Amino acid sequence: MALGMWSVVAVAQQDRNQSIRESEKKGWEYEVKAGVNIGGASPIPLPEEIRKVNSFSPKFNGVVEGTVTKWLGREKNWGVSTGLRIEEKGMKTDARVKNYSTEILNDGNKVAGRWTGRVETDYNSTFLTLPVMANYRFNGSWKVRAGMYVSYRMDGDFSGSVSDGYLREGTPTGEKVEFTDGKSSTYDFSSDLRRFQYGAQIGGTWQAFRHFSINADFTWAFSNVFKKDFQTVTFNMYPIYLNLGFGYKF
Amino acid sequence: MKGITKAAFVGLCFAAWMTSCIKDEAANAEADIVACAVSGNLLIREPVITNTEVKFYVNGWEDLTNLAPTFTLTEGATIEPASGTKRDFTSPQTYTVTSQDGQWKKTYKVSFISGSPATEYHFENIKYYEYTDIWDPTAEPQKKFHIFYDRTIEGTDMEWSSGNAGFMITNSTAPATDYPTSQAENGYKGKCAKLVTRSTGSLGAMMKAPLAAGNLFIGEFKINIGNMAKSTRFGMPFRMTPLGLDGYFRYKAGEKYINKNSEEQTNKKDVFDIYAVMYEVTKDVPYLDGTNIKTHENVVMMAQVENRKEAGEWTRFSAEFKSVKGRTIDAKKLRNGGYNLAIVLSSSEGGADFNGAVGSTLYVDEINLYYK
Repeated sequence: MALGMWSVVAVAQQDRNQSIRESEKKGWEYEVKAGVNIGGASPIPLPEEIRKVNSFSPKFNGVVEGTVTKWLGREKNWGVSTGLRIEEKGMKTDARVKNYSTEILNDGNKVAGRWTGRVETDYNSTFLTLPVMANYRFNGSWKVRAGMYVSYRMDGDFSGSVSDGYLREGTPTGEKVEFTDGKSSTYDFSSDLRRFQYGAQIGGTWQAFRHFSINADFTWAFSNVFKKDFQTVTFNMYPIYLNLGFGYKF
Repeated sequence: MKGITKAAFVGLCFAAWMTSCIKDEAANAEADIVACAVSGNLLIREPVITNTEVKFYVNGWEDLTNLAPTFTLTEGATIEPASGTKRDFTSPQTYTVTSQDGQWKKTYKVSFISGSPATEYHFENIKYYEYTDIWDPTAEPQKKFHIFYDRTIEGTDMEWSSGNAGFMITNSTAPATDYPTSQAENGYKGKCAKLVTRSTGSLGAMMKAPLAAGNLFIGEFKINIGNMAKSTRFGMPFRMTPLGLDGYFRYKAGEKYINKNSEEQTNKKDVFDIYAVMYEVTKDVPYLDGTNIKTHENVVMMAQVENRKEAGEWTRFSAEFKSVKGRTIDAKKLRNGGYNLAIVLSSSEGGADFNGAVGSTLYVDEINLYYK
């Protein structure tokens, strides 16, 4: 009985391998990838309000992705790929700013104005991304790709604190509220983050072994992390990330 | 391992790119008067600079018609009329400071004050602290909170200070009557002052500052976030020897006495405080504040109202100025304005340390200061 079951499984396995080989002949390629995102949400260029970046930590942002590529033409050098990617994008920064427009929480109320001093930011978002790329395969080991992507933000956080400085209420000539001796205040713009993002992506894959590959993709958003009507932070911040990881090709 | 070093390298590159891309520092946007001075031996103490005012303190007999104060500004800013311009200061003069980047202007009222605090306080006169919306300069300035003022012996106006400016930052939409200090009807005679200990909400409680006592005092209020008790700077120059203080009050303590951790103290009941202090102004001690007004060694005389309790009807209170630790007032220093007098009223006596009951209400009216 057990032997019978075993032979059924073996035949089924053979059938499955067969169907993958056949679709491979037709030019279909299936991959799953896992990696990390390193980068940040950055204004381009750095605005003059930022005087010094004290520290920057890209954080550990995980990425998992499933990709399907259809190779075209006789040579099967060019292809189109798409897939689904679940990724995190985040960063932690500590900067010194001057006359930086922001809104802080002070004793339960929001106070808007110009901050000069230290700003710490903690940003993270989890996205569901759909990339659409054109692929070019050099040989059995190397392929490159370029294209666009759209992302849907499932959840996210943009918050931090200000300390060691002062806030001018409203305008640079407003009342000066000093924050010294370790006193700090927080801000939270999480509810002002955009839901959808889109941008460009370029990347490459090195097929190390038959099934195992190493990937690098550089993604660059064209949209601000914040909603259009959010004016408190006066400059746009674009998520720019490098996705490094491993992949498995079926 | 290869992946980790790759990641570290990229992270480093990113940080290096961000650091090297720092733009040149922008021109200053602030337009502050940072320091001020006037030549001659006019000043009897350090001038006071707030966000929109500069006050010089001089003796009552000085000629104010031809003075040329000089100002130190935020780097790169300019002032109009120029620093050092001779002007007539028998009434306050305005100056406009323009920031280095040319985009921001601030108007300062500069005055030379030679008067003493008024001695009969009826609390009939109030003006509003007005807030002009910079995004809509054509709109009516918003009236935020009450400021009591009285006439001094010399005939000029003197304003009472309160913690209202601090309350305004966190409760900017509150009507004037919701502030800790406001004017009320049904005074002992005419209108009166109403001081109420207010709650600062859930975040105030989180920051260990769960309440804001209603207070009224002679002096300046300058917000010090690091130590709130230092925000109340008590006293103004007084050139007579104070003898006593009296007036009328009504008081009801709030239900729940809490400490700064918002913990209820069931055995304690809130009580108000009314006192007056005469202290010596020295180079190191230009003023006393909420942390040391009753205890500093510069305090020469103090009048403390005792037997404080609740009263539903208008009740008379009084206090005599007594010498503290046998110290005396030097007549020459007194004549030159070397002493400050502070009268302080609060709806919660432990308010500076955030001990009190929300809702404690003190009404005061018809306060008299006796001197010789």
